[in-house]
Amino acid sequence: MFDWVQNIISVIPPIVLMTVYMFVFVLVLFGCVAYVTLAERKVIGFMQVRIGPNRVGPKGFGQPIADALKLMFKEMILPNDADRFLFRIAPLLSMIPALAAWAVIPFADGWNFADINAGLLYLLAMTSLGVYGVVVAGWASNSKYALLGALRCAAQIVSYEIAMGFALVGVLMASGSLNLGDIINEQQGGILHWYWLPLFPLFITYLIAGVAETNRAPFDVVEGESEIVAGFHVEYSGMGFALFFLAEYANIILISALTALLFLGGWLSPFPESWFTVPYLGALLGHGPHMFIAKTCLFIFCFLWFRATFPRYRYDQIMRLGWKVLLPVTLIWIFVEGVLLYFQVSPWFD
Amino acid sequence: MKALFNVIKSFTLFELLKGMSLTGKRFTTKKFTVQYPEEKTPQSPRFRGLHALRRYPSGEERCIGCKLCEAVCPALAITIDSEEREDGSRRTTRYDIDLFKCVYCGFCEEACPVDAIVETRVFEYAFFERGQQVMTKDMLLEVGAKYEDQIASDRQVDAPYR
Amino acid sequence: MSEETVQIFINDKEVTARKGAMLIEVTDQHDVDVPRFCYHKKLSVAANCRMCMVEVEKAPKPLPACATPVMEGMKVYTKSPLALDAQQGTMEFLLINHPLDCPVCDQGGECELQDVAMGYGNSISRYTERKRVVPDKELGPLVSTDMTRCIHCTRCVRFGTEIAGISELGATGRGEFMEIGTYVEKSLSSELSGNVIDVCPVGALNAKPSRMSARAWEMMQSASVIPHDSVGSNVYLHTLRNQVMRVVPRENDEINETWISDRDRFSYEGLNSIERASHPMMKTDQGWCVSDWDASLSLVAEKLKQHQADDIGVLAAPHSTLEELYLLQKVFRQLGVNNIDHRTQQHDFTDQDAMPLFPYLGQSIKSIEDNESILLVGSNIRLEQPMLAHRIRKAGLSGCKVNSINAQNYDFHFASQFTWNLAPQQWLTALAEIAKCSDTLSDLPSELKSIVASASVSEHAKNIFNSLKNAKQSSVMFGAIADSHPQASALRALSNFIANATHSNFGLLARSGNTVGAWLSGVLPHRLPAGVESNIRGLNSAEMFATPRKVYVLLNLEPEFDFANSPVVLEAIQAADFVVALTPFDNEQVQLYADVILPIATFAETDGTFVNTTGHWQSVGKAVSAPGEARPAWKVLRVLANKLGFENVQYQTSEQIRDEVKQLFSDEVAITSYLKNYDHVNLESDTNKIFRVSDTPIYAVDNIVRRATSLQQAVEDQPNHVAISNNQAKLLDMQDEKVVRVVQGKQEVTLPLRIDENISDNCIWVQKSSTQTDSLGDAIAPVEIQRTANV
Repeated sequence: MFDWVQNIISVIPPIVLMTVYMFVFVLVLFGCVAYVTLAERKVIGFMQVRIGPNRVGPKGFGQPIADALKLMFKEMILPNDADRFLFRIAPLLSMIPALAAWAVIPFADGWNFADINAGLLYLLAMTSLGVYGVVVAGWASNSKYALLGALRCAAQIVSYEIAMGFALVGVLMASGSLNLGDIINEQQGGILHWYWLPLFPLFITYLIAGVAETNRAPFDVVEGESEIVAGFHVEYSGMGFALFFLAEYANIILISALTALLFLGGWLSPFPESWFTVPYLGALLGHGPHMFIAKTCLFIFCFLWFRATFPRYRYDQIMRLGWKVLLPVTLIWIFVEGVLLYFQVSPWFD
Repeated sequence: MKALFNVIKSFTLFELLKGMSLTGKRFTTKKFTVQYPEEKTPQSPRFRGLHALRRYPSGEERCIGCKLCEAVCPALAITIDSEEREDGSRRTTRYDIDLFKCVYCGFCEEACPVDAIVETRVFEYAFFERGQQVMTKDMLLEVGAKYEDQIASDRQVDAPYR
Repeated sequence: MSEETVQIFINDKEVTARKGAMLIEVTDQHDVDVPRFCYHKKLSVAANCRMCMVEVEKAPKPLPACATPVMEGMKVYTKSPLALDAQQGTMEFLLINHPLDCPVCDQGGECELQDVAMGYGNSISRYTERKRVVPDKELGPLVSTDMTRCIHCTRCVRFGTEIAGISELGATGRGEFMEIGTYVEKSLSSELSGNVIDVCPVGALNAKPSRMSARAWEMMQSASVIPHDSVGSNVYLHTLRNQVMRVVPRENDEINETWISDRDRFSYEGLNSIERASHPMMKTDQGWCVSDWDASLSLVAEKLKQHQADDIGVLAAPHSTLEELYLLQKVFRQLGVNNIDHRTQQHDFTDQDAMPLFPYLGQSIKSIEDNESILLVGSNIRLEQPMLAHRIRKAGLSGCKVNSINAQNYDFHFASQFTWNLAPQQWLTALAEIAKCSDTLSDLPSELKSIVASASVSEHAKNIFNSLKNAKQSSVMFGAIADSHPQASALRALSNFIANATHSNFGLLARSGNTVGAWLSGVLPHRLPAGVESNIRGLNSAEMFATPRKVYVLLNLEPEFDFANSPVVLEAIQAADFVVALTPFDNEQVQLYADVILPIATFAETDGTFVNTTGHWQSVGKAVSAPGEARPAWKVLRVLANKLGFENVQYQTSEQIRDEVKQLFSDEVAITSYLKNYDHVNLESDTNKIFRVSDTPIYAVDNIVRRATSLQQAVEDQPNHVAISNNQAKLLDMQDEKVVRVVQGKQEVTLPLRIDENISDNCIWVQKSSTQTDSLGDAIAPVEIQRTANV
């Protein structure tokens, strides 16, 4: 049916093709990010027994577009004594890693831009790079609130990076590979074989650290409007602010996707294989990218749910939680996992 | 024992889950939002909206320029000049309410010995230029004339409690 | 205290009280609150409101505190159930007929009845019958009435008889039908009538000019001093939104007690006149145009520099502040100008070197009350200085004999009074007669000796001299009419001599609020500040116009009213090259002669100091801001000085100027009202002719009062006319004339003729300071009376 399409594709040089793929993907991702903002407002609205935005377009679906247009046409104010170059580059520094990380994400078996062996390491690197955007923004704004926000951000991310890293070490130990495709394939065999169960404490730790890593409620002291106005992006307006905004939601999607990949078996279906042959529904119930997207959405929803539920932590409480609770928990469970590995406990470590 | 119980409780994230279950439940309940321009909330006869100056049925303005509303106004929104009218009665020559200053507390209404200054149920008004927010005596009397029926019936309903 | 005291107990607290004091005085002294309506500390006790009931031990019934003298060991309870019950009962009765119209009542918020009703009244009236209604009385343009509100405390009635000295208000009817009013429908004529507004505890009597325009609680109160007479009455200016809404007295027992004159109370209307100048104005070829301060002051400075210092004449009104007056003379003396004067109403300047430091009353205002005999020389003191007249009246009530030498029988209200009614040309002889009664005449100036020697002493002269001589304390007061007299120096010298010979206080009645300040700050051609003799003699206010100058600078003056000889002044000033008018008011008259109009602030709009006739310095702050671009005159003069390049005029506040003036005086200045030794007096006079005599009407003393509309309405029914005695009319064969022409020098006016038996023979009375008559010239001068042509 799509032969002519494949014919056209086959004649295009792979590098051009790849560029086009990436461009399309980034556009789609931006669209998703935009609609996550709408989803956030809607979900939180619903949890607070109200409706949320419903005026722009049918049921408020035009809202993200309106917001985007508004932000695009707003003046980007450059503070008097700001570092002009860094001030402009900071939003990009925070946006680009959130996009670059997607290069190694497999949507289905073999469906990724770059199937590299050190995929997990690459991810860890990319997610950590985002903090530079925030720190640079805080510094370049030449505002005490922005600087304080940036400092909080740096300290917070450094703290939770460790817990997050150890959680990933657990995954690494269980799968024996840094390649994301391999990690998922190691989880095959039904819902109980996915890593969430044997690595449950690490799963929870990773989720919490992920929330902290993205500076989301209840760990959003970086913005802390009651103390430091709006934190690192207090001086930003127009597109500069929009980029920070996009980066935050891109990171939410990324962390959700990673959680889905590492602990919930990525594209693997939770249903028994016998169901896969059910006529019509079989394709829907079987493995595939739709499973991965569904799991990602589940975690995105959790992010919004947390925000609707939990009040903001005090800064010292955040630090305490990161260093004195999450870190010991991961260490202990890595030890436990090592023991399990040594004794090759079924069905996960045989 | 209790400490141990607390440790278990916090490590199982019991309270966090409890909180999430609450918000989760609310997620599905019916929403209270009133869709404003299409739907409106019911108004009390004591509603305090736009101000009005009333007249007696004879057409004589009620206000006697006693300036009690001006004195009681916590926001200093009311400015009154008064003088003796030709027939010897005390009348205002100027009665301005700055709606930007007004906090709609209704004290003026309460202070008025002749029910001249009242707050109507009107609340849908806006200003597009500075200066428009100052309601002069003529404007206030006009509002009073327009809504007199409702103002009168609202006072009637509330009369037993005054 | 040398007085005997008694110990009494008020609410079980032991206090010391003056023997014979009423209970309420003692409770007031000790801040024990007793409600009252009819009691007023400056009025007699009437005890007719029955509100001040208190319980006294061993008395079977509650007693009125205002009429119960204290007794040794008396035990008083002001808050006992019996007292409270009596007070509440009285309150209920008072409220029976009092209307509930507090929202429209001007007294609302400062009403004694309202206050006491809050404390003692019931919240619900048991009275359901019809209330009493009393028709309002028309009491003239100053006092408004709402007689239904009257609670018959009779304070206003007692004020009239006891303080104002005219029983204008009274109670008619009894019981329910009692009404307060004038017996015959008429306006209040007392110059103190406004005080009934203050004494009235309710809203029955209120100020008409400020009627229904402001409430008590919304006005700001600023202490001030009113400069229309030399008493310097203490007042509060009540202001609302940068406008003076009313004036009320500020209690000062040394000066005005709790009263003020109507002139002081209602002159504020002049401040809000539509004629207020709000922008500097310049006369150009195209007519008058609005200018700014920089341009107009630059022009003034340029013009002043272009002219010889001797060609410049500087004149100031004596109701300007001390600071303004001082700075005026400082700036112009620095420019070399010595033609500086403020004595615009004076005719005879012969004795100016003999004058004391300033025209001093010779005693404190309070001590006037202690006089046993007073001689007034040429003064209608009741209208000139109402508060001094009030003190003289008080002296009169305790037996003081008040003699006066005047050209008419003024309507004085002193208990024991005699007016030696003489035409002004005969005053010199009359004083000479009195002087002749003295044992020795050696102190007299040589020129007067022969006159005194040749006088034949009449009965009146002997009586007056003996009355002064035999009194323990006596005073000779030299008034404004005598001051305008062409022989003023001779009259002053003789009065001075008489005072010395009879050991009386010699008092010079200063004309205006700051006449004394003008003397002290050197707004005089022959004296520098602090009374230092000037090396260079400038021209006085008469000479400046007799030999016209090229430039005139006028501070607060209106030449058409404020000068002794207005026609000459106007002629000279209109012919001048350049005239600068520093004035708060701008009208056609100013525009006629001025070239630059500099709008200045009035007394209420600037910080300043006024020195009253006893030499008492009173500094007051500004109550409101001057309208528009108008600025206090001292600031205008400071900038003018800077434009002229004077670097020593850099004042930031008026206090700096005042302190500079004050430093000029040594600590121990001997204040005296006696003249220094001198020989020369002015005796020129044409005694054979009929003289015109005039006095400045009470509501025409300065530019502010002249614009106080209500005060002007109050004297509207006294149109200008020629008054003449019956005898004189017969002599001139003019009894039947309706209108006559009066010729004075080159000027003439035609006015209705009225026969007035109070006027002395050989003179006619024509009022001064109104447009029509000012064209006549000097206040006291020979005139001719002619029939109008058409008869």
